[in-house]
Amino acid sequence: MAGGMDLGNGGKGGKKPLDAAINLVPFIDLMAVTISFLIMTAVWTQIGRLQVSQAGGPSTEETPPEETKTVQLTLAITPEQLVLTADQSTFDPIPLTRDANGKLELVKLTERLKQIKEQFPDQSAITLQTDDKVRYDVLVRIIDECLGNALPQVSVMATG
Amino acid sequence: MAIKVPGKRYGKRLEHSKVFGHGGHGKKSGFADLLITPLVDMFIIIVLFLIANFSATGEVLMMTKDIQLPEAVNVKEVEMHPVVMVSNEQVTISGTIVGRVEDLVKDEYLNIPALEEKLRDMKKQYEDLHAMAGNADGGFKGDVNIQANKEVEFKIIKRVMFSCATAGYNNINFAVLTKGGDGAAPASAGAAPH
Repeated sequence: MAGGMDLGNGGKGGKKPLDAAINLVPFIDLMAVTISFLIMTAVWTQIGRLQVSQAGGPSTEETPPEETKTVQLTLAITPEQLVLTADQSTFDPIPLTRDANGKLELVKLTERLKQIKEQFPDQSAITLQTDDKVRYDVLVRIIDECLGNALPQVSVMATG
Repeated sequence: MAIKVPGKRYGKRLEHSKVFGHGGHGKKSGFADLLITPLVDMFIIIVLFLIANFSATGEVLMMTKDIQLPEAVNVKEVEMHPVVMVSNEQVTISGTIVGRVEDLVKDEYLNIPALEEKLRDMKKQYEDLHAMAGNADGGFKGDVNIQANKEVEFKIIKRVMFSCATAGYNNINFAVLTKGGDGAAPASAGAAPH
């Protein structure tokens, strides 16, 4: 087997050659068993979860301390547009548009969320007021955007 | 003329052939050395790839053809909780159909009674099991996974969520396909604990 170093036979008599063959059969057996096990237990689709709560329901989150400065942030979602409201002030509606690949464009929403986060660094909650006609993938995309902008406490509620 | 053993006899021209002849020369030993090194290399690469893909949690959600999950980046790892499956046709939990989307769209009620009942049963079963085991840490946290098709309207999701909340499952998790992105790790770490 390759791997050993041949020193020739010119030495004294009785010296054994250093070339030793490693028995690879048990190693290959072990590999075959490991591969079979890993293939059987393999998970090919990577699934995650987005944790949300229902607005109005009991919350498991810790209540923020009194001195933190936050606002009641609400995002109204309809199939056509998004309307962000911080306490009583309402921002301009953001039309829901899709790019050439059919992907939802949420650049404006991200910008606004970043602005709010800069003004209120302790803000962590947002309520999504969703219309009945809104598709699930749109809702998930917006929740994902909120989580990505450091607003982990996402509550979902229906309009009306 | 000498007596020959019965069997095929070839002519003089083929007598010493490697294929037909019976001559001693030209025959190689039956033992051939298999090259094992590339085989072992391949095995190692496969094992490393599979170990990198290995998930200790296993498959929590059953993937079906009629439920296409939406994609998200800022996700947490999915956990073992009851799974409510919402396809374009029906709402199921643990393989039991609890409502047809066609009917649910028409109804004006906010909950799905069959789903609520099933969830209540599951909650009771969970609590009984943990009470019998004397497991103080395994208290009921009210986690539920919603595995919905991406084209389903919020009207159905709303009813499912309401039913879950009424049955005591307040921690709702939307199952999504994890999309590779830069922000995945920090956001999932910063997401709300429960």
